[in-house]
Amino acid sequence: MTAVSAQGPPPRRRPGGGVYLHVPFCASLCSYCHFPRTDRHDAASRRRVVEAVLAEFALRRDACATLRDGRRPALTCYVGGGTPSVLEPDLFVRLLQGTWGRLARSPRPEVTAEANPESFDEGRADAWREAGVGRVSLGVQSLDADVLRLLGRRCDPDRARAALRLAAARFPRVSADWILAPGCRRERLAREFAEARELGVGHVSFYILELHAGTPLAADVAAGRLPRPRDAEVESLYLGACEDLERLGYRQYEISNFCLPGQRSRHNAAYWRRTPYLGLGPGAHGFAGNRRYANVADLTRYVAEVEAGRLPEARADRLGPAARRLERMFLPLRTAAGAPLRDLPANDAVLARGEAEGLWRRARGRLALTPRGRLRIDDVESLFAGLARSGPVDTPKSFGLTCGAVPGTGATGAAG
Amino acid sequence: MTEMERTRNFCIIAHIDHGKSTLADRLLEYTGTLTGKDLKAQVLDSMDLEQERGITIKSHPIRMTYAAAGVPYVLNLIDTPGHVDFNYEVSRSLAACEGALLVVDAVQGVQAQTINNLYLAVEHGLTILPVINKIDLAAARPEYVADQLGDLIGCQRSEVLMVSAKSGAGIDDLLAAIIAQVPPPAGDPEAPVKALIFDSLFDPYVGAVAYLRVMEGTLRKGDKVKLIRQDRVHDVGEIGWFRLQRVPRQHLSAGEVGYIATGAKDVRHIRVGDTVTLAERPCAQPLPGYAEAKPMVFSGFYPTDNDAYNELKDALQKLQLNDASLTWEPEKSAALGFGFRCGFLGLLHMEIVQERLEREYDLNLIATLPNVEYEVDTKDGRTLLVENPALMPSPHDTLQIREPIVRATVITPKEFIGNVIQITLERRGVQKKMEYIDTERVTLEFDLPLNELVVDYYDKLKSVTKGYASLDYEYLAHRPGDLIRLDLLINGDPVDALACIVHRDGAYNWGLELCRKLKELIPRQMFQVAIQASIGTRVVARTTVKPFRKNVTAKCYGGDISRKRKLLEKQKEGKRRMKQVGAVEIPQEAFMALLKVER
Repeated sequence: MTAVSAQGPPPRRRPGGGVYLHVPFCASLCSYCHFPRTDRHDAASRRRVVEAVLAEFALRRDACATLRDGRRPALTCYVGGGTPSVLEPDLFVRLLQGTWGRLARSPRPEVTAEANPESFDEGRADAWREAGVGRVSLGVQSLDADVLRLLGRRCDPDRARAALRLAAARFPRVSADWILAPGCRRERLAREFAEARELGVGHVSFYILELHAGTPLAADVAAGRLPRPRDAEVESLYLGACEDLERLGYRQYEISNFCLPGQRSRHNAAYWRRTPYLGLGPGAHGFAGNRRYANVADLTRYVAEVEAGRLPEARADRLGPAARRLERMFLPLRTAAGAPLRDLPANDAVLARGEAEGLWRRARGRLALTPRGRLRIDDVESLFAGLARSGPVDTPKSFGLTCGAVPGTGATGAAG
Repeated sequence: MTEMERTRNFCIIAHIDHGKSTLADRLLEYTGTLTGKDLKAQVLDSMDLEQERGITIKSHPIRMTYAAAGVPYVLNLIDTPGHVDFNYEVSRSLAACEGALLVVDAVQGVQAQTINNLYLAVEHGLTILPVINKIDLAAARPEYVADQLGDLIGCQRSEVLMVSAKSGAGIDDLLAAIIAQVPPPAGDPEAPVKALIFDSLFDPYVGAVAYLRVMEGTLRKGDKVKLIRQDRVHDVGEIGWFRLQRVPRQHLSAGEVGYIATGAKDVRHIRVGDTVTLAERPCAQPLPGYAEAKPMVFSGFYPTDNDAYNELKDALQKLQLNDASLTWEPEKSAALGFGFRCGFLGLLHMEIVQERLEREYDLNLIATLPNVEYEVDTKDGRTLLVENPALMPSPHDTLQIREPIVRATVITPKEFIGNVIQITLERRGVQKKMEYIDTERVTLEFDLPLNELVVDYYDKLKSVTKGYASLDYEYLAHRPGDLIRLDLLINGDPVDALACIVHRDGAYNWGLELCRKLKELIPRQMFQVAIQASIGTRVVARTTVKPFRKNVTAKCYGGDISRKRKLLEKQKEGKRRMKQVGAVEIPQEAFMALLKVER
């Protein structure tokens, strides 16, 4: 197995990347979720999938010198789902140690695991902490029983509070997800955020509920069993909640992420900074070099692919210059710092108009969205994408985990 | 018999879709000019577009031989363009013939173009052979149509030839009739050369090729020829006649139809209607009937992507090599950037050019509303020709505006007379004549501003007559009109490419309707779009396209970036047909909004 990095000039020290581990199991399905997950599983199937993820890791490491030689230590790990806390503690530890644990790691890595309040207990907390998890992200979503019911969450508010307390007691950093759903009211949300602050939550992921086709919630709305949320109402709720979060000291550093000083998620930053990450598990996504891949989401097929010794990829894209340019334009728009103006189309009429309308600001060579602009980010991205002109082509950069193609497998070489 | 006595030069005149090209194919087959493997439908319509739209744009002469009573005859068929936009070309083709087949559809009967082309042919002294085609169709009414033809040209029912170009029925009789009735050409092969150019074509290998009919004298390979109207001298590099391809010969004599390759780099030097003679021994007088092809309809063509300006220019240059009647000059629009003001013979010509640019050259274009050429007398004593509304001087500086008026001929079944008159009067038409062709159908003549005709008249005519009416028109004169410029403003700024010239009486309504239509056509977008119509500084109508409200702020879950990127790429592709005007995205169709306004 030859890798580009092994043939090229002596490797320089470059920043390492991240690892994403996908745990596709849930105790029950939420009414709004469209991510790869299942509620039909047992101890044997959980073990089988975890073993397959370890095998996938081995396949990818065999194919990639960068992963083997340890010169570029990995910085972050994120165990997401699904619901990682559904895994038995020993299985979770095996998953983490059999992948992340075998990589060269930076001295102060960030290791995050997602949990649901109802399955996050002392045994898990202790086992996770022991295994090196330093940050827990709890899928709280709401502290309002009615809202939780609407979302199809099994958890009740007291259970959520208990989980937050436990997380804060055991882990140095705690994040919680909140969702802006039908039935939310501003005062109520503000009280919930204040409570979270007191319970020791340092990071909040706050996002507007999306209706995804095929989810039970979308069906309810389509059938008129639930009212379709009114745009104007959602807008003012969102803007109000952002203000309330800021007042509590949670600074918005990305479109759906808010944190107290020093509590940013380093892992998520890889997504909009375009640094590499190794995605493992059914339905996981990865990025390295100029290649993005998505794994097979179907559990049976995923396991079968890995057991047959094949990379379980459903799709892989090589990014050409235009695609890279587009990514460099739209990804940083999500962040508070915004996108460099040099990566945006130089259409002054448009840039000035948006500024005049309070959708964004230009300062120090960057364009950053205002809260109102963030509400319309899809259109902003689309607007800029449509204006993009062929500028000078960027030179492809090698990131930490760049790998070459695997001989014999053609274009579907391993990455990560 | 001399070769000249055994030659017949003829053309086919017909309304669109009456089967002219199919009939030509059948003649090629029955004369053995085409054999099995060449037999694909409509050989003579060689451009993709011609085959697709079933219309002939270029002339396609072809030389056939056919034996009658043991005597071999030479039959030169000149397949003429079949659309009113190309009337001048038709008249030059007719001038190259002694006879014409007047082909009429056995179901549809005589149509407006049939009559106009017939008059043209009669003017040129051609022998007319009435032919009814499509007699195989179930709905055919050959006797009825034969009576129409009888009324029209004074022939007997029995003299009308009945054919089906599709099945081949009657084709042998038709060939025999051509030989018997079309007179052979006259002319002296020894006289000074006089040859009529009836079409031209650019060939990348031999340069501009002139299609010609030799009237007098003999042209030889290597001759130095003079084109009288252009006053240019060329060498005859190649000379010959037409089979399916060009067949080189040594000479062409009086009565013959063929071509010369001149080596000229541009068809504009080989003008249709010009007279070819010898530089050394010129003829005394050029042939009559020459006219400069004059563009009647104008439109600004702009690339949606400003970077494609040079590609558009190259493409126009290439098209012009083969299309002497296409004119263009660079133009700048504040809204659309750099583009070209193009002149066309008519709307169809414009559509064809636009379609070829988009299809053959893969260009995305904004075409502005088709316009006519106005004559404007200014107060400082000048007369301007204005074909771009944005350049119309202000009313304060204007003494008089004259607009082109056409004589429009409409043939319609009698039950639609009221509708036709109504839509024509609404468009400032003045009725000049009404005549029954037979008990069912009527010819109406109107004087009508060309601008009104260009905007939507033909579509409207078709819709109020259920498709039965046919239209033809010819330029009459420029006449004074009470015309003003209607400006369209987007977010407070006038968009020059949306301005139009309208009659004062209808201006207010136009303003309202245009605003309404633009609101439909301009999609909701990032920013609010305010649309206003104004006359001078007075806003007569306004409307607003509201901006989008919220989208969703999704998490970048698990790093699935590709889905988002692909969505953006798709959206970006969708915007290829939009033009960014300031901060507003305007779709191509919006520039044609005026054409879609109901009134």
